[in-house]
Amino acid sequence: MRISVDRDLCIGAGNCAMTAPAVFDQDPAEAVVILLDESPPDDQRAAVELAVDRCPAAVIRLLP
Amino acid sequence: MSLPALPLPREGEFPFDPPPEYAVLRERAPVLRVACPTGLTAWLVSDYAGVREVLGDGRRFTARPGQVAHVLQAFRPDDPVDGQFSRMDGPEHIRIRRNFAPQLSHARRLGELRPLVEQITEEAVDRLLASPQPAELHLGFSQWITTAVIAELIGVPADQRHLLHDAATALFATSTTAAELEQALAPLYGYLYGLVGVRRAQPGDDVLSRMIVHSSGGDRPLTDDELVTMNAALLIAGFDTTASLLSYGLVAMLTTPGQWAKLCADPGLAPSAAEELVRYLGVGTGLLRQATEDTEVNGCRIRAGDFVVAAVQSANRDPALHPDGDRLDVTRTPGAHLGFGHGAHTCVGQQIARMELVTVLRALAVRVPTLRLAVPLRDIVFKQDSVVRGPAELPVAWG
Repeated sequence: MRISVDRDLCIGAGNCAMTAPAVFDQDPAEAVVILLDESPPDDQRAAVELAVDRCPAAVIRLLP
Repeated sequence: MSLPALPLPREGEFPFDPPPEYAVLRERAPVLRVACPTGLTAWLVSDYAGVREVLGDGRRFTARPGQVAHVLQAFRPDDPVDGQFSRMDGPEHIRIRRNFAPQLSHARRLGELRPLVEQITEEAVDRLLASPQPAELHLGFSQWITTAVIAELIGVPADQRHLLHDAATALFATSTTAAELEQALAPLYGYLYGLVGVRRAQPGDDVLSRMIVHSSGGDRPLTDDELVTMNAALLIAGFDTTASLLSYGLVAMLTTPGQWAKLCADPGLAPSAAEELVRYLGVGTGLLRQATEDTEVNGCRIRAGDFVVAAVQSANRDPALHPDGDRLDVTRTPGAHLGFGHGAHTCVGQQIARMELVTVLRALAVRVPTLRLAVPLRDIVFKQDSVVRGPAELPVAWG
């Protein structure tokens, strides 16, 4: 599993960091997404997929 | 032939459900031309995928006409945006959101705010348990808590909090005219301009001060107008929507067999219960967008300039999200519901709202497990002249 994020369009809603905190964080200044792990282990897949669905700005992508 | 009217909540007949027309529409005509009560004609999108697509694509569907201009006559789609961030698009809007986000939706910041929410909640439960029965829970408890939380966050003293209530009553009332709204908002705006001046001179640790300090380090600091608009929006939306959802959710849990008992048996369910209530009851009147180009939704052609109403509550009941979506289930693992909206305009205060809902539900389940309605459900009066749905009053008893 590989992930990319588009920080330019992130609105800092925080859903990803709350859904999959091992994979996503937010920078302190603007609360914009920080990708902690670009290729997290498979046990994170369910949390990451939910984070993708819950991202209101659709800035998280699961890469093939 | 005249167009069908936009189906709006009818709590007298269907206390917790979108009107039954929506189940038929989702099945047969997930995009339908309707007449809205303010006179607009719009495409009504009622299925989960369609609503998610419309709200999620700010390039094809602008928020410029105003999120609820299809039900509030004070908002006219052609009015200048005039600093209202809920009607901005693209980078202008993202700039505002990034000044909100560190204060309201940063996971660590929320951890710092939790003790305040817990303290206010415990105080409210103390007051409730000390009051005579039956007690009125909506204004006296739900609204008391959410008003105290948002006012404390921004630093509005107790003797000025009536300004929020007056402004919200006018803002969310379907019958308010534009002139009446301007007049009703003036006292709160006037107060906030003064407060911005005070906090610029002497910043504290409140949200307003933190916005001033945070943005002054950037290349385009927030103006007084922007700070006032942003904080007024927080103060107004921040207490009424959350309080109404809380009261509405309590009515639903207390009258749906087994739901309150499940939460009381395991107060650790409070987070899933809160999420479920937002999914089940949120945004009954839907959200308005306008197409920016000729496009299609669910195979239906929509022309540039056409209005679109995204029926959020209907979308959240779509079997595509949960096969048994019309059932309230506080034990449900919550899916990606749209009850806080979706897309760049998703509710800016949703993490604070979640924290309040979870904290209050847990506290009531632990401390007042015998809570019950003091009148039959059919005697609960729901708000009619407001886009923020829920009971107007909520008489309860316990023990």
